[in-house]
Amino acid sequence: MFVGPAQGGRDSIPAVPLTAEGVFAVAVKVLILEDNPVARSFLSRVVRESFSDSIAITEAGDLETARRHIALTGGAQGLHGTDPFKLILVDLELPDGNGLELLAELTQYPATKIVTTLYSDDDHLFPALQCGADGYLLKEDRFEVLVEELQKIVRGQPPLSPAIARRLLMHFRPGGGGTEGAPDSGFAPLPFASSKPVPIEKAPEHERLTPRETEVLTYLSKGFTIKEIASLMGIKWFTVNDHIKSIYKKLNVSSRAEAAVLASKQGLV
Amino acid sequence: MLVAVALLACLGVVALLRLLAATPALDIAASADAEGRVLLGASRVAALQPLAGRVLRAVGPPGATPTPVDTALLHRAPRWQPDEARRARSLAQQAALAQALQGGSVALQLDDGSTVLVPAAPRGLGGLGLTAWPLAAAALLLPLFGAVLLLARPGLHGGLFMLVCVAQALGLAMLTASSLRGLGLPPALPGLDLPLRLALDLATATAAVHAFALARRPAWALAAWAGAAAAVAAVATGLLSPAWPWAQALCATMAAMALLAAWRQPAGPPDPRRGVNARLALTAVLTWAVANAAVLATAQHPQLAHATAAGAAVAWALFSVSLLLLVPFVARGRRLLRELALLAGISTVAASLDLLFVAVFALDATASLAVVVFVALAVYAFARQRLLDQLLGARLHSTDRIFELLYRAARDVQRRPERQLQRLGQLLRELFDPLEMARASTVPRQAEVQDSGMALVVPLRAEGEDGRGGLAVRLRLAARGQRLFLPEDARLADRLVDQIKRAVAYDRAVERGRTEERQRLAQDLHDDIGARLLTLMYQAPTPELEDYIRHTLQDLKTLTRGLAVAEHRLGAAAAEWKRDLAQRLAAAQAQLGWVCEVDESLVLTMGQWSALTRVLRELVTNALFHGRATRVDVVLALRGEALTISVADDGAGRSPEAWAHGLGLGGVRKRVKQLGGRVAWRENGERGIVCEVHIDGFREAAGTPPPG
Repeated sequence: MFVGPAQGGRDSIPAVPLTAEGVFAVAVKVLILEDNPVARSFLSRVVRESFSDSIAITEAGDLETARRHIALTGGAQGLHGTDPFKLILVDLELPDGNGLELLAELTQYPATKIVTTLYSDDDHLFPALQCGADGYLLKEDRFEVLVEELQKIVRGQPPLSPAIARRLLMHFRPGGGGTEGAPDSGFAPLPFASSKPVPIEKAPEHERLTPRETEVLTYLSKGFTIKEIASLMGIKWFTVNDHIKSIYKKLNVSSRAEAAVLASKQGLV
Repeated sequence: MLVAVALLACLGVVALLRLLAATPALDIAASADAEGRVLLGASRVAALQPLAGRVLRAVGPPGATPTPVDTALLHRAPRWQPDEARRARSLAQQAALAQALQGGSVALQLDDGSTVLVPAAPRGLGGLGLTAWPLAAAALLLPLFGAVLLLARPGLHGGLFMLVCVAQALGLAMLTASSLRGLGLPPALPGLDLPLRLALDLATATAAVHAFALARRPAWALAAWAGAAAAVAAVATGLLSPAWPWAQALCATMAAMALLAAWRQPAGPPDPRRGVNARLALTAVLTWAVANAAVLATAQHPQLAHATAAGAAVAWALFSVSLLLLVPFVARGRRLLRELALLAGISTVAASLDLLFVAVFALDATASLAVVVFVALAVYAFARQRLLDQLLGARLHSTDRIFELLYRAARDVQRRPERQLQRLGQLLRELFDPLEMARASTVPRQAEVQDSGMALVVPLRAEGEDGRGGLAVRLRLAARGQRLFLPEDARLADRLVDQIKRAVAYDRAVERGRTEERQRLAQDLHDDIGARLLTLMYQAPTPELEDYIRHTLQDLKTLTRGLAVAEHRLGAAAAEWKRDLAQRLAAAQAQLGWVCEVDESLVLTMGQWSALTRVLRELVTNALFHGRATRVDVVLALRGEALTISVADDGAGRSPEAWAHGLGLGGVRKRVKQLGGRVAWRENGERGIVCEVHIDGFREAAGTPPPG
């Protein structure tokens, strides 16, 4: 028995196309990695509600199954696959490991990767963003809120909570050491996330935020909404959104650079 | 080298003692009476005993014309005889007596004209008198001491110190000779006394000038030696005559130069040792001046002159020896030796004063002794603490004060462990009050005193501790340059650093344990109960039940987050509240008005944070679902000590006094009461409800760290 959009007391949200090909695609492939079967089917319904394309959902209950499905579509690099997943929803707490492990493997995979979790604190979400997640959904939100958030992420309007904005500010601050020293960090960092970023001698250009981006982050960390920030800074709301997207990208790139440095230090490259 | 010096010194002293022992003498006490005549006293030789109380007129070999004698005969230290004529007379009389003594017997002419023939016999080693032995021992010890120092720290300073030691040792040897009992001296000695001892004094003063001027004015040293050499040459050729005043004047000049060189602070940081040296030099010069003044003042009083001279000679010798022996220890800060140095200095000054009183005020010996003892005690009482404290390294603080500083630092560090290093630095600064404090280039294993007490290096963090490199601070010049660092200071610093580290480690362990426990609890609650509630929520039969479960789940998350997070700052918490409420209202297509005037850095307790989070959430939920509001205005303000929250909506709710307080409002009341505040609902103008929460003493409650 599910709580459908009609029961939410609001009109259903118009679905958006997930891919540029739109109706020409046979079926857009979506992977949902979630161990709770009830939650899994709930998320399936959220995905189907959100997009106008015909959707082929693959469900996985653990990391092992998810890896197998990804290998079938061309492996973690997604280079040889003829038909890779376009959207991947990853739960963080899985029976055989942490969803972050899969995200870290899929940094090159050409799909929109979204973390679905019950944890809303920055200590869990920030490492996920660093691992290349394009956004996150909080599982306890209402059906229609989830649909809206999912559509926003796919359209390139990722969420950014004040706590995560603070963490980002600290991460990009000159000499700021990434995850350590968060003033109000929540749960203990996961073992997986505790592999500290390797400090790079001098931050490369792509690692630094522009003054505008820093300003946006500062407002976000103080709890302002995107609309309020737009009016405070005298810019359009989608410009604010562009800044947020750019910050996401920089975080992603910077964590990839860290991964590369780490790899070369360990003699992997 | 030490053996050679020891052998030489031993040989010299033994030769001197043998010479003195072999010299024939009259074993009879003699003193001066009021008219300047020689009064014979007690004797251990039977033949001389009847002479006690008689006045001696003249001495000579048996059968020859006797040489008339007066008190000049008793004056055995020509160095301390300023009057040329009297010194010449004294020398002549000594020579006559010596010549007579060589013959084996002496004819003594007494005041009644009678002549008594008395036998002369060598004193023997047993007859040298009580003072001769310690003086000889000191003369032996002094060059040995100088040699040891020179070997321990070779260099020009050591050499100069050795020179001074040898000069003073020779002076002591001369003093040994003139301190003998009875009448009669080796014939050559009195003639040698004046030039030799003046030369030795001159050498001492010149060496002192050299030593003090070495660092900055090498030219002075050269000038001093040249002047001394010229003076010796001039005296030897008779150019400077009479020799005594010239030599004293030269010594005084040298002393002034030495003092000047010692006193002038060089460019750069003040050096506490320099101050000590300068003061010691000043004391030496003053003693020398007092001794000379006493001799000069009593020169015209026949019955006092020879006693003063002997006393002055002994006083000066004692002082110079004790000073020389103690100088190296003063710089090291050995407590007992410092005390002894002070005592020796003061007693010598007292002895000099005694002589001066006797001489100038013509007090009798007992009265002057009493006055001097009194003065010396007073000086000792006043000077002791002052000198010890200010010059030679006192305890800067009482035990109470040190404990208080340590306690405060430990409390501070427990409150803010990240400031441990800064706080340690501050503690060391408060304790030692150094002129300079900088990061040290090397990190010793434990605190150590460097540059002979000029600096103290304290390791704050060992290499590899906390996964970081070592760190040490170097304190220079304790008590703003007034004090030397002592080994006890290093131990104290070590113990302080140790205590602070222990406090931090203990605090960390407790906090870690507490945090781990809380986080485990939070994680379990969140993962187990949260996942079940989520499943339940997805399967809820009605939207109302779904919402109910969602709120329960959110409360659970607030609870677990409150447990897991170490601290909540008001600014960050307000940002989260705002975002949370904005999302909630946007989902219900309502607007949020948000005004927040708070001190962002205020740290909330866990209770405050979770209570406020749930109060705000509950009030907004009420406005939305019971009042169906389209706009909610929240004002959060911290004014002074009090926090006020007002939540106003434009919903359909009216007459709050008539509400039945269910779970929601009851929860709000309960939480506000827990925070020590009050809550009231009233109608909001035309439409809606205002809820006002007022919490007194909020800031104070937030200021204290979490309980436990």
